[in-house]
Amino acid sequence: MTSIQMPQLGETIVEGTILKWLKAEGEEVDRDEPLFEISTDKVDTEVPSPVAGTLTKIVVAEGETVPVGTELAMIDSGNGEGPAEPAPPAAAAASSGTPATEAGGSGTVAPDEASDASAAPAPPPSSPVGASQGAPVAGGTSLPDRGPRSQILSPLVRRLAQERGIDLATVAGSGTGGRITKADVMAAAPSATVSSVSWGGVGPAAPQPTTSAPVSVAPPSIGAGAAEGETVEPLSHIRKAIATHMVASVNETARAWTMVEVDVDHLVKLRERAKDGFLATHGVKLTYLPFVVRATVDALKAFPMVNSRIDGENVVTPRGVHMGIAVSYDAGLIVPVIKDADAMNSVGIARAITDLAARARGHQLKPDEVQGSTFAITNPGPYGSLVSVPIINQPNVAILALDAIQKRPVVVEGDAIAVRSVVYVSMSWDHRLLDGEIATRFLARVKQNLESWDFAEDLGI
Amino acid sequence: MRRTWLFEPVGPVRYEASNEAMHDLAERRLSDEAPDSLILLEHPPVFTAGRRSKPEHLVWSEREAAARGAAVHHIDRGGSFTFHGPGQLVGYPILHLGVRPDAAAYLRALEDAVIRTGAALGVELHRRDDVQTGVYAGDDKVCAIGVRLMRTRVTLHGFAINCDTDLSWFDGIVACGLPDNGVTSLSALLDRDVTVDEVRPIARRALADVFDLDHVPAPPDELERFRSALVA
Repeated sequence: MTSIQMPQLGETIVEGTILKWLKAEGEEVDRDEPLFEISTDKVDTEVPSPVAGTLTKIVVAEGETVPVGTELAMIDSGNGEGPAEPAPPAAAAASSGTPATEAGGSGTVAPDEASDASAAPAPPPSSPVGASQGAPVAGGTSLPDRGPRSQILSPLVRRLAQERGIDLATVAGSGTGGRITKADVMAAAPSATVSSVSWGGVGPAAPQPTTSAPVSVAPPSIGAGAAEGETVEPLSHIRKAIATHMVASVNETARAWTMVEVDVDHLVKLRERAKDGFLATHGVKLTYLPFVVRATVDALKAFPMVNSRIDGENVVTPRGVHMGIAVSYDAGLIVPVIKDADAMNSVGIARAITDLAARARGHQLKPDEVQGSTFAITNPGPYGSLVSVPIINQPNVAILALDAIQKRPVVVEGDAIAVRSVVYVSMSWDHRLLDGEIATRFLARVKQNLESWDFAEDLGI
Repeated sequence: MRRTWLFEPVGPVRYEASNEAMHDLAERRLSDEAPDSLILLEHPPVFTAGRRSKPEHLVWSEREAAARGAAVHHIDRGGSFTFHGPGQLVGYPILHLGVRPDAAAYLRALEDAVIRTGAALGVELHRRDDVQTGVYAGDDKVCAIGVRLMRTRVTLHGFAINCDTDLSWFDGIVACGLPDNGVTSLSALLDRDVTVDEVRPIARRALADVFDLDHVPAPPDELERFRSALVA
C-alpha cells in the first residue's frame, strides 16, 4: 500500500484544495498518470500518481482543503503491473460514461476540460489510457517486459499511435527505461493487428460510454440479500451520485410544501390552436412547460429570495435566473440548466428545453450545462401524476412541480359550476431560508401569471 | 541558460486556438519532445473563467458578453474571471519547473518579471501581500496572473499586462473575484499611449532574465498554428 499525500508545491504553500479526482476507487492508475487535481492560491495542478497500482481508497473528497502532507488516498501497488483487467460488465461500462451524466443534481459535476471544447488538456479519465492496456488482449499479443517505465506513454504518443493505427505492444521503446517516444511511433509501421475498435473507435474529445477505461468492478455475488430467482446488479455510478445528492438534500434542508390550483383552460385552447403552426415555424413541439417557465421566471424576479441559495452563513442572490429542468433518461435523472432564462420569451424557452432534453437523452450535455441552476422545475404531469412532492435540488432553495392537467368541475364566477382544464402546481421549499408567506405569495404570482397572461403574443401569433 | 522556443505572432490570436496549442506544447514539454516555450500574443476580446470563478463575479451575463463580442470560456487555470483583448500583452510561459517544482516561487518570479517590465518603462509596480497573485500600481491591478501546472511540473497559462487595453471591458466582471480593486493600464499610468509592440520586447527580456531563458525563434511549422489562428 502506498499512501498518497497532499504534495508540497512550494515552501510557502501550506494547504491545497482537492478540485477533482481523476480516478475512482477501484480504478487502475499508471505511474505518472494524472490522479487528481488540486488548487492552491492561483495555481491549479494535476498531480500524477507516484506508483502504478489500484486506487483502493479516497480519504479526502473533492472540494475539501487540507494541509500539505495530509493523506489523500491509498494505492495498492502490489500487483500494479499485473494482467489487464477483464472487460467490465456492460452496465458498469455504461455507468462510467460522460462526465455530464454524473449530475444527479447540479452540484455534483466539477468543471473540467470538457466545458471548453477547444481545450486539449490532460487526458480525462475516459481517454484511452486503459485502452493501451487493453490492446494486447484485442490484438492477441502481449507487451514485452520492459520494466515499469515502459508503461508510461505521453499523450502525444498515444494520439499518434491511435491516428496511425499502430499497436504500441509491437513497438520497442528507445527512451529511458524502454519508454516509447514520438520517434519510435513515427518509425513504426501501421499494424494490422489492432483495429480501431480496440481503441474504441472515437477520440478522447468525444467520450462515449463504451470507450471508458476499464473500471474494476467486483462481480456481483449472490449474497444473503438475494433469494433464488432474484437478480443482482451493482448500482450504477450515476445512480449512486443521484442517491447521494438526494439524501444530502433531505438531510440538510427543512423541506416544506405548498400547492395551488391553476385554471389553465385558456392555455389548453391556445396550445390546441397554435401547436401545429408552432411546430412548422420553430421546429419544436409546443408543450405547457415553456408557459410555466415564463410565469415562474417572472415570479422569481418578483421574489428573488426564492431564486437564491444558502452559502455558509450567507444568502447569495444571483442577478439572473438559470432554470434547471429535470429530465429523465436511460441512466436516471439529470437537471440541465437554461442559462439566463430571464432573457428569453416562450419560443426561446421551448427551443432551449427541447435542445437540452434531447442532448441529455443522447448523453451529449457538457458539464457546465448541468451546473449553476438557481431554481428547478420538475414536470411529472405527462405521466399522469396529480400531486407530487419533489426533493429540492440543492443548492437551490425551492423546486416547482407541474402535475397533470385535467378537466375538472370548478366553481366559476357567479357561483356556477363549469368544466375547466385545471392543474395543481406545487413547490417544495427550504424553510431554513423561506417562510410560508413568501412561498405562498410566490406560488400565487405563478398562478396569477398563468391565468392572466396572453401567451399568444409571446408566441408571436 | 534554457533554450526556449519564442512564439510572437503579431495580431490578435483566437483564444481557443492558442489554448489548444499551449496545451499541446506543454504535453510535449512534459515528455521532452519540445523545449521550454514562451508565447507572447494578443487576443481578440474574450472573457475566461478559472476554476475558482463564481457566477456572481460575471457582471454581464454570458449572453450579454457574447453580444458585445467577447465569449466566455471556462478553462482549467487557477483564479477567477479575467478579460483578454486588444492592447493587452498576454504571456504563456511553458516551462519545466524541475524535480522539486515550487508553484509559489514560480508565481513570485512571474510577478518579478512584470515588475521589471514596468520599471524599464518608468512605472513602479508591486505585489500585494494582502490579496492574491497579480501585479498592481497602488490598489489597481495592471497585470492578472493565473497558472496551471501539468503533472505539478510544467507551467500553463500565465500573465496579462494591460498596455493600452480598453478598460471598460472589465466592467463585465469582478476581476479575479476582488470587488474592491480597480483595473488600470500602463497607458493610464504613464499618461501616454503604451502599445503592446512597445512592451513585448521589454517583457521578453525581463522574462529571459528572471527565468534564465535563451530565446530561439520557434520553428516555422510550430508557429503556423498561431499564425493560422490570427483574427483578420
